[in-house]
Amino acid sequence: MINRNVRLVARREITERAGEKSFLISTGITLAIIVLVVVIPPLLGLGGTSEYVIATDAQSRPVAERAVALAGNFDAEVTISDTEPDVRLVGGEIRSEEEPDDTLVGLLQTANQALEPSRRPDLRVVTAEPVDPDRDAKAGLAFFAILMLYGQLIAYGFYVASGVVEEKSSRVVEVLLAAIRPKDLLAGKVIGLGLLGLGQLLLIAVIGVAVAGVTGALDIDGALLTAVALALVWFVLGYAFYASLYAAAGALVPRQEELQSSTTPLTMAILVSFFAGFAVNDDPDGVVAHICAFIPFTAPITMPGRIALGEVPAWEIAASVGVMIAATALLIPLAARIYSAVVLRTGSAVKLSEALRLARQ
Amino acid sequence: MSFRVEPGQMFGFVGPNGAGKTTTMRIVMGVLAPDAGEVRWNGEQLHTRMRARFGYMPEERGLYPKMRVKPQLSYLAALHGVDDPDAAADRWIDRLGLTERAGDRVEELSLGNQQRVQLAAALVHEPELLVLDEPFSGLDPVGVDVLSGVLLDYARTGVPVVFSSHQLELVERLCEAVAIIKDGRLVASGTVEELRGPGQKVVKEVIERPTLTDLFREAVK
Repeated sequence: MINRNVRLVARREITERAGEKSFLISTGITLAIIVLVVVIPPLLGLGGTSEYVIATDAQSRPVAERAVALAGNFDAEVTISDTEPDVRLVGGEIRSEEEPDDTLVGLLQTANQALEPSRRPDLRVVTAEPVDPDRDAKAGLAFFAILMLYGQLIAYGFYVASGVVEEKSSRVVEVLLAAIRPKDLLAGKVIGLGLLGLGQLLLIAVIGVAVAGVTGALDIDGALLTAVALALVWFVLGYAFYASLYAAAGALVPRQEELQSSTTPLTMAILVSFFAGFAVNDDPDGVVAHICAFIPFTAPITMPGRIALGEVPAWEIAASVGVMIAATALLIPLAARIYSAVVLRTGSAVKLSEALRLARQ
Repeated sequence: MSFRVEPGQMFGFVGPNGAGKTTTMRIVMGVLAPDAGEVRWNGEQLHTRMRARFGYMPEERGLYPKMRVKPQLSYLAALHGVDDPDAAADRWIDRLGLTERAGDRVEELSLGNQQRVQLAAALVHEPELLVLDEPFSGLDPVGVDVLSGVLLDYARTGVPVVFSSHQLELVERLCEAVAIIKDGRLVASGTVEELRGPGQKVVKEVIERPTLTDLFREAVK
């Protein structure tokens, strides 16, 4: 499948596209945005002095009062009150509904130690709802995953389609097909652009993770790296699926101006997946989430976010990938036949029904 | 439609628009599959590796508008199996006077230069057969002379050159053999000599005047 001509075509796609100013600029902007989004919030802290309310029992009162005194060192203000407290000090525990602020916990532990250094055990934090320490960061990552996958699939799908149509309108496709087979041209184009998209995503992922690790915004553990790796895998699968469709769509029309009409259904599918992604991130274990996992159109965009949130059983991931691969394996030969049948029709647009008929011959 | 082209022959393809000239050329290049019949080269049926040794110039640009001249010629040479594509590209850039423009994008070039790049693209891999679809359209008389010269040189090396044109005097001047087609069918074919026949004896009085073409050539020399 990958022969010399495919390699030549792929290399041309990569060098031409990567050399374009617009490409370099957009990559640069994306990286800049990531760095800003990850670096700036921790630097700004929570925006000034934090205010906390602590309720306490008689035993823990000294801790609370010490905390009030020390609050200034933590850029915070502490009041002792029973009305709507952030946390309750009961016995040797800090009790709260949800995960208490790191700053508050730090302040209370310090206050605790200050009373009787190295003799008192640290206060235990008890929450009503056990919560992930990285929860906010993970939600951010999931959101980001949707955004990135949506963006890359739309951008690279478009690159494939517009590349195909440019070759038609400039008639260079005739010259190319006099020397190589349509399958090789199509394969080289799709593979070349896919590698470029993957490389770009990899760069973004590496820099994003590095910056997040350095600023402490995320815990760099196996789970995170797996999530990132799987997101890249989902890009490859989603791209393989959509790119073949976009190539066929591009081959159906003679000019760039008519590209809109043939690619609209695909763009719609990606857009719908985009919105589905948000719904899925809100309810990663819900019905919508499970359905989207098994639809090849939506899976690439909805799955990475879910995986980042850590809510997907391994079997479901495997099954979803399986469905994707099977669908793509069936689709690619069909798309290739449509491409071969209509790419030389430089006069007018070819209707899908006609294209399918030609493809069957 | 059936015809033969001999080695080193300049073969002209004429006919009204829509007659099927482009389609026939695409079939010869193996780009389109014929409904019936076959294309044979040196007695063998056409296949991919063979086709890579042909040179093709389609009616319109046939080039990537945004690619630069040298990389594009090099790329096309590589696709055709040339061992040193960069050297081949340089050679033809030189031969066709494109050295100053080698780093420019095709879309930035003047029409005349674009046509030269297109010609270079067809020749860069030293093809064994040349097929050109309306190569003279849009050229000024000087351009026509230059292109005719290149094609004749090529034919002299034993390469058959097949081209279509609406400029019949040009075809008559350059070609040893022609095919006239209409509505997808061959109406006449053979050497120009055969087609013209022995002729009739007629006595004529001639007044010589320079043609506009002569005046143009004189003016731009």
